[in-house]
Amino acid sequence: MKLEKNELRVAIFILIPAALLLVFVLLKLGYSIASSTIDIYLKVDNISSIKKGTQVKIKGYTVGRVVEIIPVYRPALHFLAVMRLQREIQLYENCTAVIQNQNIIGDPVIELRNPERIGIALQNGAVIEGIELVNLEVVLQDIHILLNTLSGTASVIRDISTESKGNLRNLLGNLSSTASTFSAMMSTSQHDIVETLKSFKKTAKTMDEISVELKKHPVKFLFK
Amino acid sequence: MKKNILITLIRRILKALDGVKSFRDFIISIFVSFKSLQYLRFRSLYSIAINQTKFTGVDAMSIIIVIALLLGGTVIIQATRNFPKFGIEEFIGNLLVIIIARELGPLATAMIVVSRSGSAIAAEIATQKQQKEIHALELMGIDTTLYIVFPRILATVISIFSLIIIFDLVAFFGGYIISLSTVFIPLDIFFASLLDAFSINDFIITIIKSLLYGTLIPLICCYYGFKPNSDFEIPIYVSKAVVRTLLILFVINAIVSALFYF
Repeated sequence: MKLEKNELRVAIFILIPAALLLVFVLLKLGYSIASSTIDIYLKVDNISSIKKGTQVKIKGYTVGRVVEIIPVYRPALHFLAVMRLQREIQLYENCTAVIQNQNIIGDPVIELRNPERIGIALQNGAVIEGIELVNLEVVLQDIHILLNTLSGTASVIRDISTESKGNLRNLLGNLSSTASTFSAMMSTSQHDIVETLKSFKKTAKTMDEISVELKKHPVKFLFK
Repeated sequence: MKKNILITLIRRILKALDGVKSFRDFIISIFVSFKSLQYLRFRSLYSIAINQTKFTGVDAMSIIIVIALLLGGTVIIQATRNFPKFGIEEFIGNLLVIIIARELGPLATAMIVVSRSGSAIAAEIATQKQQKEIHALELMGIDTTLYIVFPRILATVISIFSLIIIFDLVAFFGGYIISLSTVFIPLDIFFASLLDAFSINDFIITIIKSLLYGTLIPLICCYYGFKPNSDFEIPIYVSKAVVRTLLILFVINAIVSALFYF
């Protein structure tokens, strides 16, 4: 009886450490006694962008889905989206979760991005924060704003062009009057020029006569 | 004077060589004794191995747990005090693996086994020899080398292997509990960093060390247990058994560490 008790003690003494070592080795080799997935919580302010079933991707490859959205009431209302991800995917602390649309009409997806500097691996039950929130509603609002801006711009251009037309007409009228004034001025000046030239000619003749008289009687001319 | 020193030195070298030769013959005699394994009942070897495992392993657990807790705690206290100065407090798991799992765990376990069971083995065999019990066994046609040494080697290998694992786990746990008093590290993070710090080499070395220590401790202690020729020589040879086993353990530990980590 005593020996049997000793045998039992020895068996426990041998088997438990051996089993623990085996578990440790298996964990080290990458085997897992848990399920093949891990749950990571995504903290979001509103859930208009994500819903149950929203895909979770890394570099465009689907690694899991949102399986549940839990409201948290304190300190302020926010939500925890439970992302069930493949265990093999290596995620690290300070990784970012960008909630975005696949395209303009596509469903939203959660894109996970690992940090550049790799830290401690993200464990089951860890919480990460959604840093960007772009949903279809917001995209449509942006498009609406853009179209409004475009419409405003077009009306401004139209107004400018309408005003320009009147200004152009005025400009042409002014140009026409300027041309006629210049023409009248030119015709008036033609007569004046002839008169001026005649006067010049007369002056020249007088000067000629004076010079002749001066040559003939210089003293007389001086004392006259 | 110089001549005397030289003579003493040569005498010591010759004595050591003689001892090595005698130890070699003892090991050979164990291998030779395996021939007579067929004449021994399995049950008799089994009961010796079980009793020896209980004494060397199960009964040593309490002292191993206390020492491991204290040692793990001490290492962590030093780490939590000094690591933040260098900004490397997240490497507490690595420190535990390097200090405890790789070196201190196997060595401290082996030292406890030597001081507790090795001395007991040497004293037990020496007493049996002086009381002619070994002689009586030989008269009954039992190969004493096989009957006494082999179950003890088996028991010590198993015991040391299990004790090293228990020592490491308790030291990690103790270290973790102590670390909580100064810096909070979540259990899963601590476990993950511990797992990351471990390599497959560490597991292999633990098994190799437990095999080497488990074989050498009873072998050397049995060798010295068979040596005394009178009652007065028993404490001398028990002391020699403990001291020389410890010396050889340190040498083996250094060689194994140098081979795997250098």
